[in-house]
Amino acid sequence: MTDDALKRWICLGCGFSYDEALGLPEHGLPPGTRWRDIADDWVCPDCGTPKARFEMVEIPYAEGQPRAAA
Amino acid sequence: MRNAFVLRADERGYNKILSTGATASYVGGHPDAFITRFSSFNFGDYQDGRPGFGRIRVFGDEAFYHPGCSYNMHPHHNFIICAFVLEGRLTHINTLGGLEDLGPGDYYAFSAGSGGLHEELNRYAEPMRAIYVWLLPDQLYLPPTYTHGHFDAAAGMNRITPLIGNDAGAVTISQDARISRLVADGPGAFRYRPRSPAHGVYAFVIDGTLHCDGATLKRRDSTGIQGAEEIVYETGRGDTDVLLTETIM
Repeated sequence: MTDDALKRWICLGCGFSYDEALGLPEHGLPPGTRWRDIADDWVCPDCGTPKARFEMVEIPYAEGQPRAAA
Repeated sequence: MRNAFVLRADERGYNKILSTGATASYVGGHPDAFITRFSSFNFGDYQDGRPGFGRIRVFGDEAFYHPGCSYNMHPHHNFIICAFVLEGRLTHINTLGGLEDLGPGDYYAFSAGSGGLHEELNRYAEPMRAIYVWLLPDQLYLPPTYTHGHFDAAAGMNRITPLIGNDAGAVTISQDARISRLVADGPGAFRYRPRSPAHGVYAFVIDGTLHCDGATLKRRDSTGIQGAEEIVYETGRGDTDVLLTETIM
């Protein structure tokens, strides 16, 4: 994976994940939105954990995923 | 290369979470109810320590005080959340249909996977004490699962008993990790061989005294060791109770 590859981030408060490739259109973040381009005061839509407490992960998706993370 | 750290009980993060005020929607119960949480690794407002160990992200030594004290129903994804009840009774409720009254020795693994909610509740006057361990999964958005088990301290005396992992009789999870319990009623030497030098073991002393790699660990002290072919845990006089979490690093 190169540095420019689209990455996944996981919320350390609840496990919600953000995938740059998918974005979060329902929260105003179109697919392809880079993590660095999300506002610093953005928080986890599920639990309110601040953006700074997400971790970049290189964990593959389970078979059949990702569906829209609901 | 063998690497180790020692974390003393009083070096951990500490939170007292009230059932009133800003945390009221999170912690339920009578206004007097509260939860205390000692965190071995960074979690929530505690960010001054280690970020984790291998696939472990949360290691919480928690107590729920007063009847009705609970983490109210709240959502998770992905994390494999394990709880080991030490004292009192824990009512665990989840959206997979799990509704359990867990006592000392009981434990569970709740893999939140593609999504699940849970509540952790003490319904009784006696404080409920439990260790909570959160592990990253090896795949994202797996089908959620919930499995419980029981550790019989009498049957497991003076040996290391696997509780979670792929050993026979253990609760399986989708991660290269294994959680075991070591209980002893006196001095003894217990050899632990990690699966590979790429694995590490986080040993947390629930009670008693443990000697390891030249360090003496007391109640709620802990040590993480990685890169070892073998680790020798020596228990001290009296009763010793240790939770061992092995994880790929």
